[in-house]
Amino acid sequence: MDRSQSRRDFLAAGLALPAVASASRSSNSAEPAPQAPTRTSSGSAGSALQFRTLGKTGMRVTTVGFGCMITSDPTVITRAADMGINYFDTSRGYQGGQNERMVGAALGARRKDIFLASKCDHKTPEGILAELDTSLKELGTGHLDVWHLHGKSTPADIPDDLLEAQRKAKQQGKIRFIGVSTHNLPAIVDRVIEAKIEVVQVPFAFTSDASYQPAIEKLHQAGLGLIAMKVMANARRRGAPQPQRPANFAPAALKWAIRNPAIATAVPSMTDIDQLEQNLAVMSQRFTDADAKILSARLEEVGPYFCRMCGHCAGQCPKGLPVSDMVRFVMYADGYGQFPLGREHFRNMSAEHQQVRCGDCEICAVKCPNGVQVVQQLMRAQELFA
Amino acid sequence: MIRVLCGLGLSACVMAAADSPAAAPTCNLVPGWTQDGAARYYTTDNLFEYMDGNSEGYFSYNFQDMHGVTCKQGRTTFVIDISDMGDPDDAYGWFSDVRDLRQPAYKVGMGGQIVPRRLVFAKGKYYVEIAANPEGDYTAALKQWAAALDKLVPGTSTAPAAISWFATEKLQTLKLAPQSVLGLRELKRGYVAQYDYGKAFVVLEDTPSSAAAVMKQLRERFGETTPAKVGDDAFLTTDKYLGRLCFALKGRYVAGYAITADGMDPAALSAQLVGKLD
Repeated sequence: MDRSQSRRDFLAAGLALPAVASASRSSNSAEPAPQAPTRTSSGSAGSALQFRTLGKTGMRVTTVGFGCMITSDPTVITRAADMGINYFDTSRGYQGGQNERMVGAALGARRKDIFLASKCDHKTPEGILAELDTSLKELGTGHLDVWHLHGKSTPADIPDDLLEAQRKAKQQGKIRFIGVSTHNLPAIVDRVIEAKIEVVQVPFAFTSDASYQPAIEKLHQAGLGLIAMKVMANARRRGAPQPQRPANFAPAALKWAIRNPAIATAVPSMTDIDQLEQNLAVMSQRFTDADAKILSARLEEVGPYFCRMCGHCAGQCPKGLPVSDMVRFVMYADGYGQFPLGREHFRNMSAEHQQVRCGDCEICAVKCPNGVQVVQQLMRAQELFA
Repeated sequence: MIRVLCGLGLSACVMAAADSPAAAPTCNLVPGWTQDGAARYYTTDNLFEYMDGNSEGYFSYNFQDMHGVTCKQGRTTFVIDISDMGDPDDAYGWFSDVRDLRQPAYKVGMGGQIVPRRLVFAKGKYYVEIAANPEGDYTAALKQWAAALDKLVPGTSTAPAAISWFATEKLQTLKLAPQSVLGLRELKRGYVAQYDYGKAFVVLEDTPSSAAAVMKQLRERFGETTPAKVGDDAFLTTDKYLGRLCFALKGRYVAGYAITADGMDPAALSAQLVGKLD
């Protein structure tokens, strides 16, 4: 398969997933859930709210939710709830544990009208159950609607005993649905289905590797609820300084994520009223050719720098170079001024690999499907560290 | 600066790295502890691999990189991390965001706090944290580590001057908001103090003229305003969520009060606050 072509398709059009679970499904929980009155209703700012069902949970969530992670002023959260956004995401660990308290205070009496999700970080059943009790206390609520195991990257990160603890919390009425958040969906997709997890929160942006598409489709077909995070793809934090994003980039990126019918809601971070109003408006806007152009241009800009860690380059070099690792070593030196660290990693490679000089090859066999300038990066590593 | 130098070539990059020694914790800083596993190093590129979404909070406060190590004594482990936040203002800002003002302060660096399983403090451009495991009260050991890390970490132990602007009585929280103070994009970055009678804020602009421009934008946002005699320029307004507000200009500062309780005068409170600004 031509992955380059595949990526372009992914951005431009490849979002047509089977419309599984489009109708509201009944919840497993006996507790009443906030009800969205209609599929489309009007927020207080006059924007049309759009709702989707979060997998088999039956929760009717606004297609744009609220990521509370870096919100510093609680009135923005309060305002969002009043304007109609009904899905709010936080975590026990955000802001050193202070975020949940702020979110709880901001939502106050509105709690009954919204869905609330949080996450836990401990690695033992006792640890996560203790975290849950703290979350409930700080958020000032009797239950969470979704409770995620936070940031799980491999099947081994989702052991049976943690799942059992989640089920216990569900039986006790402290949570309604069990979830997991991940930065490596393809690696855990089968485990998530096997473990009967109900909701998955996943980075999903226009820069997402094409391998995410089948994984998302598989989960959607299995009836899991999917939540998109990191929808703005903060490429500027990866590697060399990046060009500034245009003003209309954020709405385009958010529209791209929520146009996928498998994504029930996205939870972009919001810090001010203008962002809130802009994101609220996105719910009722179509993804246009102009949006696609903005995102395509952005992909072109970040492509040379943005290693997406897709693993496609693994094994491509006939001399066995660990390509993505070497790109990272260069980033340590050139991107972050950590030359000794880059050199240390380089010198931990085998002696054979350290002696390879890419200039000796006439043509490089390594092709990055995402346009990273691999040859230049490898030669830069050899120039710097060898 | 280092990034710029590195872009000019290898020799400059090596020089810059050598000129900027990182504060990296080691387990032998306190007798009786041994290292458990490899030392950690994270940059803006991969911090999320260590702490997932919580990394966004660090990024908001100008995170540069983090050196960490896990130290063990018997069954006890201390996860120790030192983050370079670029400058003392951001290091203190991140500390101000994560500390729990319901708990007592601990005197270390520019400001610190010890709770039974956690130490956090800011010193110079560094933010230092220890998480202890398993459950228990590790206050005594955390104090030992606080002293050792205080010696290791370079930089000032004087808190930002902004802290002295805010009254301490009835103070609930005092934080550096890294962006959009009060949720208003016009107020880019500043300190916010929550009292039971209102919310005080101070935003520092680059120049008096840019501060005046912010005041103009705020007037446009709120529409109906009433002039007030505070600082160089001031006005009163109301908002459904921000309550009764006063915005005041003094030199490069835009300061004031929001969500002012009934019976309190936002202009008078703002006048007291503005009077303390440099």
